[in-house]
Amino acid sequence: MTNMSAHMEHDQEALFADIGHIPVHDANAPVRRTLGIAFWICVAWLVVIILAAILAPWLPIKDPDENIILRNGERPPYPPSSDFWFGSDQDARDMFSRVIWGARTSLTIGFVAIAFGFLFGGTMGLLSGYFRGRTDGIVSFVFLVLLSFPALILAILITSLLDRSLTTISLVLGVLAVAPVGRVARATTVSFADREFVMASKALGAKHPRILVRELLPNVVIPMSALALLGIGVAIVAEGGLAFLGLSVQEGSTWGKLILFGSGSRVLREAPWISFIPIAVLFLTVLALNFAGDRLRSHFDVKESAL
Amino acid sequence: MRYWLTRLGAAILLLLAVSMLTFGAMNILGDPLFNILGPVARDTSNPRSVELIEQAKAQYHLDDPLPIRYVLWLSDFVRGDFGVQFSEDGQPPVADLITERAPRTLALLIMAQVMAIAVAIPWALWSASRANSTADKVSTVGAFLVIAIPEFALAVIFSYIFGIRLGWFPLTYTADTSLGERFHALLLPAITLAIPICAVYQRLLRTDLITTLQEDFILTARAKGVSRRSILFRHALRPSMFSFVTIVAITSGALIGGALVVENIFIIPGLGRAIVEAILREDFPVVLTIVMIVALAFVLLNLIVDMIYSIIDPRVRR
Repeated sequence: MTNMSAHMEHDQEALFADIGHIPVHDANAPVRRTLGIAFWICVAWLVVIILAAILAPWLPIKDPDENIILRNGERPPYPPSSDFWFGSDQDARDMFSRVIWGARTSLTIGFVAIAFGFLFGGTMGLLSGYFRGRTDGIVSFVFLVLLSFPALILAILITSLLDRSLTTISLVLGVLAVAPVGRVARATTVSFADREFVMASKALGAKHPRILVRELLPNVVIPMSALALLGIGVAIVAEGGLAFLGLSVQEGSTWGKLILFGSGSRVLREAPWISFIPIAVLFLTVLALNFAGDRLRSHFDVKESAL
Repeated sequence: MRYWLTRLGAAILLLLAVSMLTFGAMNILGDPLFNILGPVARDTSNPRSVELIEQAKAQYHLDDPLPIRYVLWLSDFVRGDFGVQFSEDGQPPVADLITERAPRTLALLIMAQVMAIAVAIPWALWSASRANSTADKVSTVGAFLVIAIPEFALAVIFSYIFGIRLGWFPLTYTADTSLGERFHALLLPAITLAIPICAVYQRLLRTDLITTLQEDFILTARAKGVSRRSILFRHALRPSMFSFVTIVAITSGALIGGALVVENIFIIPGLGRAIVEAILREDFPVVLTIVMIVALAFVLLNLIVDMIYSIIDPRVRR
């Protein structure tokens, strides 16, 4: 089994090594210190989306649920125009404000899920990476079981058995994030647990909690911020998948639900913008999260990042 | 032999854990009587319902403690008795529904994987052999963009362009048509699934190949005058197969989820469509059976990958 896990680790490194560059094994090679302009463009996009989502109730935009019939004799859905920047849906509701209000729910799901995954997966990974031994064995088995369950299937099982509230969906996706986040946290902790500063702290008589919180946590959390960005993207997309299975939140709209409503073949034929606009916003957001996450990862050089 | 027994034991243990999770979720989170009988379970005023409730309680041992019920359920499940659907007479049994629906999902998955692998290997060889050239950079950026498109979004875009505008593909799957027509109907959904995973494979394989191409044995082969083509296909590709098999297995699991979603956009009556219909009807025996089948497939997939590992690299067995 040890041989197996050694192989697994080798593969993970190979799998998730930074794909953008040719690996150079030269210790003296200059390290790129800046994150690059593209990174900041991605961050700017994310900030705009997040601010729009938070400020939606106060922004001068139309009510997302109001049916605004134009008086020019045309019937909805209206294509994009000066009245409706992103067009309207079949019920003459403004797509621009619907996308912004959708961002509220979609982003909440993404953030809550990843926060949950980091809180529980991160703690479990940290403890098992530090204490090793039996704790490690149990935690690793729990992670293995969670990972051997196809993610979407677990989400289907729980949302269909419980309810489809925002809390349930966010927490289900959070549970799904526990194992991948935990594995990376464990691997990162292991790589720091035997370092000199930890030993020095031990030699000075620090207790386990102090070492975990003051010595290991800061070193583990910072590189894992890259993982958080990638994870939020995965969670937002997962919500979209659930929407297409009829299992997304019942109340309010999300990007996934907006795309779903525009994807019926008749609507798609008449008014492709109803689904294409949320698709574009979703795509740009996921792209920005992926790119920013990737840049951060190579910046901190976390090889184990697996999500 | 000893190695295989350990692996098999681990797989069985894992399957048991997964089935316990599924069964536990059904019984602890849900209302088992309702999950077996459907709306009838709530209708205690009707004597006919009460009779059915008593019958179900006896049949499914609902008065027994959870561990005993689990063992009984598992023994039924293992023998292929997945229970009945929530229709009037429970016909067809869930097992029949699965045998009708599963082949379509399986066909979709196999088509997607075959296409993705068939494109990704030459694509990766092509870009690795000209690493960091403009063409390679463009293809790397392209792969990065493609990975950020969720399957369902790609499915909507494709069904608009190729189904509605160009009319190259049918928008729905019709069951009782010729093999060729059914293949045609599955082609666009399969391409939808194949494109993102193809980009994932290319990214991985390209990095791997670039590392391999810097090895000394490649230099030796080149010095011996081995042709470029032969170096790429016979010398460089083989060491990368290990991580390639892993990523194919990992994505296969994710692909099952993708297939369930994409089936609902292209209206293919496979397992994904079945599970959505069952969720709408709150038909839990069907939902749970599909969940268990997918989980089983997932665990078996991992086992198969380990077997392939040991064939590619005999050191694993030691």
